[in-house]
Formats: sequence, structure tokens, C-alpha cells
Amino acid sequence: MNRKLISIVFLCSFASSALAFDLGDIDVGKALDSLKKAQQASADIDESKEIQLGGGIASNLLGAAPLLKNQRVQKYVNDVGMWLALQTERPNLPWRFGVLDDNDVNAFAAPGGYVFVTRGLLAQMRSEAELAGVLAHEMSHILRKHYLEAIKKGARTGLMAEFAGEALKGGGADPAFNKLVSAGTEVYARGLDKEDEFEADRMGVVIATRAGYDPYGLPTVLQTLQGMNVQDSSLALLFKTHPALGERLSLLDRLMYGQFDRYENQPDHARRFMAVMGNTGILFHR
Amino acid sequence: MRWLLAFCLAWSVSAAHAAEIAYTVRPTEIKAKPFSDAATLSSLPQSSRVEVIARKSGWMQIRSDGATGWVRMLSLRFGDAAAQKKSGDSGLGALFSVATTGGSGSTVSTGVRGLSEEKLKNPQPNPQAMKELQRYAASRQEALNFGKSGKLATHRIDYLPPAK
Repeated sequence: MNRKLISIVFLCSFASSALAFDLGDIDVGKALDSLKKAQQASADIDESKEIQLGGGIASNLLGAAPLLKNQRVQKYVNDVGMWLALQTERPNLPWRFGVLDDNDVNAFAAPGGYVFVTRGLLAQMRSEAELAGVLAHEMSHILRKHYLEAIKKGARTGLMAEFAGEALKGGGADPAFNKLVSAGTEVYARGLDKEDEFEADRMGVVIATRAGYDPYGLPTVLQTLQGMNVQDSSLALLFKTHPALGERLSLLDRLMYGQFDRYENQPDHARRFMAVMGNTGILFHR
Repeated sequence: MRWLLAFCLAWSVSAAHAAEIAYTVRPTEIKAKPFSDAATLSSLPQSSRVEVIARKSGWMQIRSDGATGWVRMLSLRFGDAAAQKKSGDSGLGALFSVATTGGSGSTVSTGVRGLSEEKLKNPQPNPQAMKELQRYAASRQEALNFGKSGKLATHRIDYLPPAK
């Protein structure tokens, strides 16, 4: 323990002095340069790689919870999602939306355009605008590459660069790919940075409003969940991996106050939502 | 057993909402109608208890001390201001922990649900479901038709900067 501490202190003093002094044998400039290159490579992981990685992670999510067996609901969620995607800066990603057959209240995004919402979360919604708000929040994580950043942080240094440098091939046989997919799936158990979640809330509201929906869909879902019991085990993972709902609502309150008044008459399509969800056994009756 | 649990879940959630009690998190004006330039009827101080009757876009119709009106929904949080601190229990969390661990006090259920942390930490891919997922994808044209059928008018709006 002591030895470890000493070496850390040594390394720190070395690192700080390296910038100020010429260290003779050690080529500091070159070392920094290669570090920079590695960071650059991981930042510049191209779109086809992003989609490939997201596909591997999405497949794992579907291994944890199956798709809901209801074609009408699945098609509907894809229609809403793709309509939203057309209002974003990445309309040409291969966007895929799926309802997971699971009681847990949660939603997930994987790089490259994969968005999932659980049956348990759908059950808490009452309109298409609410669904749109949740999908748009998840899509924002993809637009801003939040998961790629989180995977990069969690994975061994250079793994992302290794993956970025590999020739694209099917079958997922690349060792770097497999490691990153596992690391990427674990991020869902750990959660993203708080700031990423706040950003996705801010963007989600705007994307849903751009698409013509009542802007208050996402805040309404957050408020509904806030009203649920904190001890409810179907919320355990969501609560563990997200900032407090009260804090998210307060931030949206400050941002939206007065700014969205002119969009308040946009439709929420509650009736269309209910027509699709009716008789599926998904909705709770209130 | 599964059905019983599902029933308990549905029951506890709808029961929680049946009351629809909320409280204000900031001083809030009560409006006659659900829009910002409607007449102000009165104002509520922070931590006022209200009963929620209805919702319309960013507004909630409330009853407070016999008076009825509309307040901005984001000025409200569900539940009781006082109860928020001690975090009430519907009994469901306790039910799960008893069922799964035989003890009490744990809020994390294990092995009951599909999307457990363990499954995310030891993932198994599902290529079959991935194929199914591709089948549900909407094309650009389908999405455009969908937007049109819902009379959804698009706007150009910039993303919001972080709150200061």
C-alpha cells in the first residue's frame, strides 16, 4: 500500500516535471504524441464501426430481455422513432427501435441507432408524446455518442484504437470487438455520467417538439416515475443509473419555463397511443 | 406466483395514482386557464399541498383549499412534501426481497427480473432477436407518412444550453 502510494507520488511529480524539464533520454514529445494519436483514434471511430459495436451491444441487451411479441406495437414504436430521427442531425443512421418484454421500468440506447424501451416503462405512459419524449432522450445519447465515451473510459487504454484500426468484417470474431461489446453492455449496469443524462433530457424535449409533439411528453413521464414508490424494485436499476428525478425535473423546469409556451397546443396523440396499446395487456388502468 | 406479483404491481401503482396528491417545489401562480397569459387567480407558496385533477400539456389542473385552477406541471412533484424525506414503501420492494433473499431490508431483487444487473454483466447475445428487430424498422418514407397521418408539423428549434 505504502509502496503503491510512493510510486503514485513519484509518477505525479514526474508527470508534472516532464512538461517543464528536458529529461534527456526520454523523448517526452514523442510519448505525448503517441498518446494523442491513441486518443484521436478512439474519438474518430467511424460510423460503420460505431454501428457494428452498437449491434453487438444491442444483441446482448436482447439476450438479457427478449423482444415483446407484438408486431403492431413494435412497428408503431419504429414509426414514432424514425419520425423523430428525421428531425435530428443523424437521420441516416440505421435507426432500430424495440420494446423489450420486461417488467422493469427502463429504456436503453446502444451506439449506431439502437433504442429500446421496456414494457414496464410503456405501461406508465399515456400518450404518443410521452413515448416520443422517452425515445428522443435515448436517441440523444446516440447523437452525442455518450455510450462510446463511457465505453472508452471503462475499457483498457488503446482497445478502442485497436478496434478502430481493425478491418471491418462480419461475425464479430475480432478480440477487441468482443471486449468492447462486453464493456459496453456493462455500462448499462453502471450508468452514464449525470451530465450526459441532463443533456439527453434537454435534447429529448427539443427533438420531440421539432417533430410536432406536445413538448411536455418527457417531463410527464419523469414526473409519473417520480410519483412512483422509490422502493419499487422495477425501478431499482433506473434509479441506480440515473440522477434523481426531482433534480432532472427541476432542471427542465428552469430551461423550459416560458420557452415552450407557443408549442403547447401541439398534439400528444393520446388516443392513437391508446388505440395501439389497448388490448395488449401492456397498460395499467388508472 | 408471477401473475400474483404482476397484479400486486399493477394494483400498488394505480392505487398510488388514485390519490394524485402533489406539492409545489416553488412559489406558483394559479391560473384560470392552462396558459401563461391567462388570468392569475391566486398564488401558492412553496411546499403547498394540492390535489391534481387533470393535465394538459405543461399544465395541471389542481384543487387547493377549495379553489380550483391551473399551475405549471413542473412546479409540482407527486407525493407529500413531508413524506418525500422518509421515502414511503408500497410493500412491493419488501415483498420482493422476502421472496428472493428470505430476509428483509434489501431493495434490490435478484433473479426475478430479466434485466438484472447480473445479466448485463454476464451478457449472452441474441442474434435471432436482432434479425426480428431489423424486420420492424421503419423506412424514411414510412416515417414521413406516419408524421403526415398524425398532422405533425415540424419546426426548427435549437438545442437548449445547460441550465445556469
